[in-house]
Amino acid sequence: MGEEKDPLSALVLELRRGTLVLSVLSRLAAPKYGYALVQDLEEHGVPIDANTLYPLLRRLEGQGLLESRWETDGPKPRKYYCRTSFGTEIYGALRRQWAELSAGMQQLLKEEES
Amino acid sequence: MTAHERDLMERYLYQVTRRLPRGQREEVRRELEELITDMAEAKGSIEAALTELGDPAEMARRYAGAQRCLISAEYYDSYVWLMRIVLVCSIIPVFAVSLWTGVIAAVPAQTNIVGMTVIGMSAGLTNAFVSAAQAGLSAFGAVTLVFAVIERQKVKLDLEKEKKWSVGELERESRAARPRWTPAFLSPVPDKRAVISRADSAVGVVFIVLFCALLLFSPQFFAAIVAQDDGVAFIPLFNLAQWNVILPVFALSMLLSLADEIVRLVAGYYCKIVMASSIVCNLSVIVLSAVLLKAMPLWNPNFSLQLELALDENLTGAGGLLLHWDAGAVSNAILALIVLIAALETGVTIYKTLRYGADKT
Repeated sequence: MGEEKDPLSALVLELRRGTLVLSVLSRLAAPKYGYALVQDLEEHGVPIDANTLYPLLRRLEGQGLLESRWETDGPKPRKYYCRTSFGTEIYGALRRQWAELSAGMQQLLKEEES
Repeated sequence: MTAHERDLMERYLYQVTRRLPRGQREEVRRELEELITDMAEAKGSIEAALTELGDPAEMARRYAGAQRCLISAEYYDSYVWLMRIVLVCSIIPVFAVSLWTGVIAAVPAQTNIVGMTVIGMSAGLTNAFVSAAQAGLSAFGAVTLVFAVIERQKVKLDLEKEKKWSVGELERESRAARPRWTPAFLSPVPDKRAVISRADSAVGVVFIVLFCALLLFSPQFFAAIVAQDDGVAFIPLFNLAQWNVILPVFALSMLLSLADEIVRLVAGYYCKIVMASSIVCNLSVIVLSAVLLKAMPLWNPNFSLQLELALDENLTGAGGLLLHWDAGAVSNAILALIVLIAALETGVTIYKTLRYGADKT
């Protein structure tokens, strides 16, 4: 919990928390293993802590948005996650929500500036 | 990876998985092992990877998700309110009675007044503090147990509802068709006559707890006390030799009564759950009481004999009446009273639920 930290970082954390599911779903059209996803998101400027991501992946799998399988051919066993068709449907809906929300936010902030 | 690094990783995996449900441990262990080795490659060392992952307890909490409390905010208010009553009603009377019995038991052995005072008070206080602490802990445990069960049952109901919802959503193509909350979902405010006041619950709880606390911790309190030349004689009413057989049955029936009161308190008005709880609990209490009174060796079999011996010299009017003690008749009378009270309470509950109950259909 970040509540004990200074108010700004707690607020930033809260702001990001809402976007986690959307950012994770966006990268899982094709199968990916957990740490590759961490690095991928970080490269795109949307960092997520591994200790937040792994439990989140499991939860999304439990909700039927993701599916996983173990790949044992490589040098070490890896668990790959991928969107299910239900997950893709939800992702599409979330994406539309995000577009509306961010357009609205842009407008709000722009008006405030001028 | 060095042996030291592997050891560190094993420790971390153990610290996370030991906090998780058994069914999840192996899977989480494998996926964290994959993660840690990947991170170690990127960060340069296992230490760096583990430092970034942070406290394993926190990690386990995130895996476990919500529902990590015994009694949630929804019930906490009722829980604290009831706990206060129960603690006061169990600790104070048990303290008082244990003090008194402790003093009485210790005093006759002393001859001078100083010895009587000092030994009597210290024996009484020791007895009182020990018994009151036991009574308080038991009461705390009983109340917490009942609330925890209610909490779990409610949680189970919620989860089932959620499952049904998501299956329904999967079947439905259009999102607009999803059941959405509308003001029509609001259940009506219960009829004033259907509201169960806290004061009513409090009266019930006070009686149950008082009786229960005394019987649990001072069964010898229920006794005929006879003055004799060299002090007083206690003639227990109950069969204390068989007490370890009788007590569990008795405690169970008291716990059921308490559970019924708590269900009333939590519901707050007469509804089907309260009615069902009342029927089930009262029927069980009647059955248990019948077992206790008719089938178990509840009464002191030598009560009349001991009383006669003790009263030999000073047979008074009241004592003479007690000599006509008939355990069978007393059992029947008490059982009849219990059946009557239970039937009355269940009857009132059924009537009020059907007449005014808020969720009648």
